[in-house]
Amino acid sequence: MSETVLSDSTSPARATAPVDERLAYRSVFQRLLIRPEIGALIGLVGIWVFFWATSVPFGTANAAASILDVAATLGIMAVAVSMLMIGGEFDLSTGAMTGAMGILIILLVKEVGDLGGAGLSLFIAIPISLAVALAIGFFNGWMVEKTLLPSFIVTLGTFFIVKGAKLGFSKLTVDQIQVGRIDEGAGYSFWRPIFAAEWDRTKHQYEYRDVIYTLGLIIGLMIIAVAVFELFFQRRGERRPTGALAFVIGLAGLYGGVAVLHLTDGYGGNLLASVMFGVFGLLAVVGLGYWRYEPVGDRGRLSLDGTVSRPLVLAVVLFALAIAVAMILDATNNESLFFPFTEQGLRATLFLFLIGGSMTLMLIAGIRARRLSITTKTLVNLVSAAMLGLLAFFVRSQSDSIKFRTEAFSVLLILATIVAVWSIAGVLFAERTAIDRAADRLGGRLFIIGSLLVVVAFLAKLLFTTTAEIDAGLASSKFSMRIIWFFGFTAVMVWVLGRTRFGSWTFAVGGNKEAARQVGVPAARTKTQLFMLTAGAAWLVGMLLAFRLNTIQASTGDGQEFEYIIAAVVGGTLLTGGYGTALGGALGAIIMAMAQLGIPYSRWNSDWRFMFLGAILLIAVVANRFIRNKAEALRR
Amino acid sequence: MRRMRTVLAPVAALSLVLAACGGDDSSSDDAAPDTGEAVDEAVEVDDTDDGDAVEEAEVTTAGGGDLTIHMVTHSDDGPFWSVVKRGADAAAADLGIEVVWLGSNNDPETQVQMIEQAVSEGSAGIAASLPSPDQLVGPLTAAVDGGIPVITLNSGSNDYQAIGALTHVGQDEIIAGRGAGERFNELGATKILCGMQEQSNVALEERCEGLAETFDGEVIIDFVGLDADQTSQTNTIKAAMEADPDIDGFMGTGPVIAMSGLNAAQDIGRDAVVAGFDLTPELLDAIEAGDVAFTVDQQQYLQGYMPVLLLYLNVTNQNTLGGGLPILTGPGFVDPDNAGEVKSLSAQGTR
Amino acid sequence: MSTQLLELDNITKYYGNIIALRDITTSVNAGEVTCVLGDNGAGKSTFIKILAGVHQQTEGTIRLNGQEVRFGSPKEALAAGIATVYQDLAMVPLMSVWRNFFLGSEPVRRFGPLRWIDQDRAREITKSELARMGIDIRDTEQPVGTLSGGERQSVAIARAGYFGAKVLILDEPTSALGVKQSGVVLKRIVEARRQGLAVIFITHNPSHAYPVGDRFLILNRGQSMGNFAKGEISLEELTRLMAGGAELEQLQHELEMAIAGGNGDEGAVGTMTSTPSDS
Repeated sequence: MSETVLSDSTSPARATAPVDERLAYRSVFQRLLIRPEIGALIGLVGIWVFFWATSVPFGTANAAASILDVAATLGIMAVAVSMLMIGGEFDLSTGAMTGAMGILIILLVKEVGDLGGAGLSLFIAIPISLAVALAIGFFNGWMVEKTLLPSFIVTLGTFFIVKGAKLGFSKLTVDQIQVGRIDEGAGYSFWRPIFAAEWDRTKHQYEYRDVIYTLGLIIGLMIIAVAVFELFFQRRGERRPTGALAFVIGLAGLYGGVAVLHLTDGYGGNLLASVMFGVFGLLAVVGLGYWRYEPVGDRGRLSLDGTVSRPLVLAVVLFALAIAVAMILDATNNESLFFPFTEQGLRATLFLFLIGGSMTLMLIAGIRARRLSITTKTLVNLVSAAMLGLLAFFVRSQSDSIKFRTEAFSVLLILATIVAVWSIAGVLFAERTAIDRAADRLGGRLFIIGSLLVVVAFLAKLLFTTTAEIDAGLASSKFSMRIIWFFGFTAVMVWVLGRTRFGSWTFAVGGNKEAARQVGVPAARTKTQLFMLTAGAAWLVGMLLAFRLNTIQASTGDGQEFEYIIAAVVGGTLLTGGYGTALGGALGAIIMAMAQLGIPYSRWNSDWRFMFLGAILLIAVVANRFIRNKAEALRR
Repeated sequence: MRRMRTVLAPVAALSLVLAACGGDDSSSDDAAPDTGEAVDEAVEVDDTDDGDAVEEAEVTTAGGGDLTIHMVTHSDDGPFWSVVKRGADAAAADLGIEVVWLGSNNDPETQVQMIEQAVSEGSAGIAASLPSPDQLVGPLTAAVDGGIPVITLNSGSNDYQAIGALTHVGQDEIIAGRGAGERFNELGATKILCGMQEQSNVALEERCEGLAETFDGEVIIDFVGLDADQTSQTNTIKAAMEADPDIDGFMGTGPVIAMSGLNAAQDIGRDAVVAGFDLTPELLDAIEAGDVAFTVDQQQYLQGYMPVLLLYLNVTNQNTLGGGLPILTGPGFVDPDNAGEVKSLSAQGTR
Repeated sequence: MSTQLLELDNITKYYGNIIALRDITTSVNAGEVTCVLGDNGAGKSTFIKILAGVHQQTEGTIRLNGQEVRFGSPKEALAAGIATVYQDLAMVPLMSVWRNFFLGSEPVRRFGPLRWIDQDRAREITKSELARMGIDIRDTEQPVGTLSGGERQSVAIARAGYFGAKVLILDEPTSALGVKQSGVVLKRIVEARRQGLAVIFITHNPSHAYPVGDRFLILNRGQSMGNFAKGEISLEELTRLMAGGAELEQLQHELEMAIAGGNGDEGAVGTMTSTPSDS
């Protein structure tokens, strides 16, 4: 069996596993790939990297605050609209509803009673406006269920009614197409922080921020690495304490390396630190593996065939092209700024696409090489690592901006290290081929802990400044309360959709309504509740707008409903219902916000904005379908 | 003041709750016509259309004059056009004639129908705005050929001569932009972002082009987001400013976008000269507080008052004014010096 | 014979003046399979709909455990323990196996006002219930749409059994399936019988019905062509009766003539039974 190089590389381990379990097992990466949000997540990272490279201030905390500010209201709606679309319905009144709720609350606190009278207290007006929103949502659902008309048509009607009501009531009561001054309402000082508080990071200085950021990031990533090991490799029957010792010594050595880097200055110190990182890092990795995991049995021979060598060669060619592009085009040309085809923009775009293509091909080659032998796979992975390392030093040597010289350099170097370590681990330890609940549980928990640490690290970086930064003339940036509403709402809806009966029924009524009804799912009620959910989300956005803007235009929100639907689709939700996620909607909203603000951040003319959005939408839809097909093939 | 009855589309759910919000304004139905005072009467006109455009006609009668002038505009009855209408009403009251106000809510088809209707009713004179010349030049030329004097207002400075109109009363957007550019020079700005709230709207682009003509420094002209989504507007302006640290001025081609520009500049702590076009209460407050440098006011009250007056004088006395050239109502500027007064006038509805 | 679990006595159904079913009498007991055979248009679907509570019989009586019953709606039939697995399955293809299994009756855990699905329990029960029916689903997380037709039928049968069905009506479960997949479903039917369910198996394929059935009801144009216990009839006879007796013999004779040096009776019948809808 292991004689021929074409046999499954992991056959020795597989042979010991029970037959049915062999079919059931999917590795941690395969499990990750079948998440519906994965396409949106990759897109998010890709677009962020793209604009980060083409724009000077895009990577700053200020830009993050702006992007999240735009994404928040869009995202709250996109999450709700995603759920409605999973339930198989559309709501075209959502956009107009956001503005209508903002106008309603202002009219309630300002104009109720005699014209221009004292109005209601916000404590009464807010529940009333929520009740009105839910009533409109109920009306939508009720109409759709009773008339059996497409929700597209019914909510188009509601859209016009709401739009007309906004204009009509504004003019009837204040004789203007805008209503304003919610800050004159009773109870404003209580409610304003809830809906529109702001966190100005320049007013929050914390000198240990960078320590927390660095340590959180490093420790978090290390824990995640251990979690991936635990999830990916086969546990050995009897553990080797000597390995644990090596692991601990390795970690201590790494910490020593950080200390050396921190305390020394100059070439010698850096060299010592890197040697320490290399040696102790390897010691830690090998120690961890030796301690816990089964050594690999048969590595097979080195062999290449067309399926692997073709992408490999193409990847190297693309890599060389990318380098050539970066060398030929001049990075210092900053003229004709408001045009996408600046030399600088072209350079970044071409470079990123070529490198992206090259790395994707390497990934494909690596995956295909797994079929040949472990030795081949390792070799391909090591080539990838070498390319990444080369890229890191190339970027460092070729660019003028600090951003590329430090940030891109370090990130690429870390990536190269990770790939290298991963390929070494892969040649030493056996991949797991059977479900191991205990290992999954431990790995999962470690993964969550590591991710939390990384989140804390980034939060510290985003929310606090240091005196040094202030002295350097840092522009103020404000994180709005709506971001917390956005994250909170998304988290709750992810839970609702994934864990509750209502969530399950949402998928069911969208996927096959008749079938759902036959087994006792209250289909009509579920759909009506979904309409009420989107209306409730529109109410929340209306409150966020009213307390932020103080004055609401009658046109506010009109036409936004399509942006919500686009965000949901970009996030992987199927237009035909029955498939999608709430988190995808949120990610889609962040992608849209990045695309929208990335263009001015890159100093491009906004005439290109819709072209860009259209391209993203198309790519997203195609990519999501591709990934879904792959995922379903994996599941078979 | 005046009372109006608005013909509204029926509103379903909102109306239940909001019924209490609006006072009953339709009591003017019972008011007897009185020679000393203008009385409004709502008449529903031409209901053959699909009905989503807000169509209304309000007839102002006073003094017993039998002269009827039609004012056919693309009015959306927003704050801008309600000031124009007040100007027209005031002229009607002052002259003792009748003005029929026809707003098409940006629907050229409806506006064409309204013009034809005015002609068939034997109007003494037509004042019309020309947002979309392609459709409107034909019917108005026919009206002139039929012996009805026509004056264009607000938009139409390029086409009034082709129609054979007496004159055009409005603001030339390029001239308004030029005036703003000179103000920016005085205020010491060096690089301006001219932000528009609509894409491919010629009037807004002309405002920015005029600005670029007279302004000494660099002008970046760009669409920065719709008024319907102010969050995105503000953040887009913020992004453009952060991307270019040299920007120290923002010109918004509308009042809402000017406020977004101010918020963006304040958020990132940029000390920028902010200016806008047209008036809203917020913008006036911001000018009075000194946060916004100025706004370009096209004094649209005149665009309502003057066409009525000029048509009246033409019909009764064969006068013409302007010598075939347009009569410009702007740019007038509102800055911290006169913001307070303009604010009180604005509250009265004449600015 | 003692009282049967479900007895049908002279069931007749008119749609207006069209007679859909006339004087049908049969029964099924716990741990037995009654096969209802018939060609297209024989009245099988009317028969199912009456038992499932979608339609009501015009004449005749249904007795469940000796008690006369009359189902006004599918819900009532289900509540009485009669579960129907339709050909077009009540399944949501994009949802996972375990979610489909428990759809509409999810087990919940609660904390204060919050209620959420007990996923671990639902997955475990799905896995063990399917295993009890002899189905080895690789992964209960996989979407039902990725299962084979036979597996899907199997999940539906297991679900009906788990949720307390006493009588299981299967509407042509093998009609859309290949030979191997049909075998899978037939095994499930045998398993359900072994676990004490009364199964009514509707099919037009005698060679599927014969190995698993304890009793055969043959329908032709709304009329019973006979109600036999297993020992009373052979597969050949069953096939002949189902397709309308003499007509089939005529056709069979012609076919034998056409096939020079044919393999004799069994082969010819085999040909016929594998394509019964042609007759």
